Amino acid sequence: MDLKAVNEILSHFPQGRGNLIGILHEVQNHFSYLPEAELRHISKKIDIPITQIYSVANFYNRFSLTPKGHNQICVCMGTACHVKGSEKIMNELQEKLQIQKGQTTHDLQFSLDEVRCIGACGLAPAVVINEDTHGLVKPKMVGKILSKYKP
Amino acid sequence: MAKTVNLIINGKKIKSSAGSTVLEAAQKEGIYIPTLCHHNALDPEGTCRLCIAEFSGSIRNSIRISCIQEVKEDLVVETETERINKSRRLILELLLGRAPEASAVIDLAAKYGVTKSRFLTGESNDCILCGRCVRVCRDKIGVHALCFVNRGPARKITTAFERLSEYCIGCGACANVCPTGAIKVEDKGDQRKIFTWEQVTARFTLEQCEHCGKPFAPKRYLELINKKAYNPKGLEFVDYICPDCFKQHDRLSDKRREGALRKAVNKWSVPRG
Ligand code: SF4
Ligand code: FES
Ligand code: FES
Repeated sequence: MDLKAVNEILSHFPQGRGNLIGILHEVQNHFSYLPEAELRHISKKIDIPITQIYSVANFYNRFSLTPKGHNQICVCMGTACHVKGSEKIMNELQEKLQIQKGQTTHDLQFSLDEVRCIGACGLAPAVVINEDTHGLVKPKMVGKILSKYKP
Repeated sequence: MAKTVNLIINGKKIKSSAGSTVLEAAQKEGIYIPTLCHHNALDPEGTCRLCIAEFSGSIRNSIRISCIQEVKEDLVVETETERINKSRRLILELLLGRAPEASAVIDLAAKYGVTKSRFLTGESNDCILCGRCVRVCRDKIGVHALCFVNRGPARKITTAFERLSEYCIGCGACANVCPTGAIKVEDKGDQRKIFTWEQVTARFTLEQCEHCGKPFAPKRYLELINKKAYNPKGLEFVDYICPDCFKQHDRLSDKRREGALRKAVNKWSVPRG
């Protein structure tokens, strides 16, 4: 367990238990997922039952209990993007990365997920990778986009 | 004393005390409202939606659930209108689709003339996600061994990380309040298992009664009772007596209990270790 990192994160949240979501965000960002031992440690530190933390961690898409890739790809499957062919983009990505949606590549470089409307319908179909939004994506652009994130 | 509130339920003028729910007020008057997620010992959470009623008078005309709505002066409530029963039948049909083998659901549905469901999934899951188990464990026992996870159709009741619970004390309160039997306690010899849905979520060896030798309760459970009820400082234990022996003592000899109590008090004055 990376106690140092967790304690460092906890020190950013003096209100403790009132800030569970904020804490989980930082843990997710740091480890790229929510590791069990770390969550149990947090539970003791901020005095929230582990079951409650587990519930919250399970509820939000943003949190993951299994390791996520270094680059997180979210393909929008909202109405506008769906109509504009996001399914094809997803297929292309699955093929290029050799994983199914919801999975992470073996080298932990990429994980692939779908999301509902990200509020960029004008750019449909949209794909978000980490903090970047790629709009008006066509299947044949996928390879080029991915290459920007390859190590 | 709480303020008195006047309201009308199903045409009947009734008085209730401020702060109580419409369901409580109705039950006091002997007016039946169907419920599944409500339990008198627990705070309401409004998950089953069966206690719906039509509200008007001092609040906007609307359908609301009566287990959470508080009574209000001049409130008018109708619990069995055609509109309500139509919605109720749909709710029952949905519940029946999920839990077609749960007798609590079957019986209640039958009462409203629902015997079939269009929403069968091909699977049968007795849990109707009412959350009573979670509430009793969290709010009354104070252990919080169970939780809801996931959303939508994947929602379920389980323990943290779906492992054997390290916090469960094996009291069985969850099984006790579960309306459908989706949580079970199984005692075999001196072994107790708690089944949440079909998964074993906790396992215990039962401690023996000091008087009759029968295994009767898990250690963690006795420790919690000891701590909560008698002995907040967590000092020496009183006695391991099973409920049967305890009742007998009641009848046979109060003297003996007094003696035991005195012994216990003496023990308490000496902190352990
Ligand atoms: S296990 Fe029982 S008490 Fe718990 S949510 Fe399901 S039906 Fe309700
Ligand atoms: S539907 Fe994709 S951004 Fe709105
Ligand atoms: S009893 Fe009111 S919602 Fe279940």
